[in-house]
Amino acid sequence: MSRHLKPAGGFELAAWYFMRVSGLVLVLLALGHLFITHILHNVETVNYEFVANRWADPKTGVLWRLWDLTMINLAVLHGFNGLRQILDEYVIRRNRRVLVHTLIWCSVIVLTTIGSYAILMFEKDQNYLDQKRAAQGGIVASRSSRTVTDPAGLVSTSSPTP
Amino acid sequence: MASSSSLRTPRAYQRGSWARLFEGLRYGGGIGQWAWLVHRVTGLGILAFLIIHIIDTFLVVAYPAEYDFTVDIYGGVFAGTYYWLLRWAFRFAELGLIACVLFHSVNGVRVVLFDLWPASSDHQKRLFQVAMAVFVLIMIPVTWVVLSALAGPPGHAMP
Repeated sequence: MSRHLKPAGGFELAAWYFMRVSGLVLVLLALGHLFITHILHNVETVNYEFVANRWADPKTGVLWRLWDLTMINLAVLHGFNGLRQILDEYVIRRNRRVLVHTLIWCSVIVLTTIGSYAILMFEKDQNYLDQKRAAQGGIVASRSSRTVTDPAGLVSTSSPTP
Repeated sequence: MASSSSLRTPRAYQRGSWARLFEGLRYGGGIGQWAWLVHRVTGLGILAFLIIHIIDTFLVVAYPAEYDFTVDIYGGVFAGTYYWLLRWAFRFAELGLIACVLFHSVNGVRVVLFDLWPASSDHQKRLFQVAMAVFVLIMIPVTWVVLSALAGPPGHAMP
């Protein structure tokens, strides 16, 4: 390794660091998210009620929302920067590069906006949950094949009625 | 980002994107190249899933009824009717997604190792074997948990 050359800094260096740092944080956040959703709980029981109870929980709701907020923003940036790196190897002509980079930036802005909005502005729609409970009243709820432990203390049942 | 418009593109690159793709696959071979390739492919796969997932979870806030309608599809129920094939297809797709995220994570940690300790890249093959061992060890119980749920009824009430 030569000690006489300074690395060219700038955007690419920052992006390089970002991929490593965000990648390591995402290992914890994303794998944890997958573990909670698919292993701890049965993913078929994850419905509006499940998410609403988690995000609206008075004690831990803020923490779940922060987890999801961090995860979604880091994942979108990490993923789309990766996409940018890949496409930069194949898209050479100037006009095409402008188009591709514009699309990437627009996607990043749209996805982080709607994701952050959903997490921060979410309020439990009790009306909808009550309507659903009422509609479900006549149907015997089937128990899932594995015992589900729910920290909020509610077993989620989802009715397929539209 | 430097534009390449002031340089002449090499002949191999003048044949277009498809040629470059196939040239890339013939680069040097070896397990390190395949690790890099699978890392890329899984990354793209996760990104494609992520885009759909963000949009469908946005429904949680925007239209709660549509969100329940959508997640019911993952359980095999479309518009009130249960299709076991749909449920099975989504379960296997879910297993594939977990495998992609796990591979990308484990190989990503391997890459970070090379960046933090450049001398470790001399042992990249051995580290890849370790990474794959971790991957398999985690995937075995996960596969069992994810697929064994198919033995029982769907998690929500059947119509």
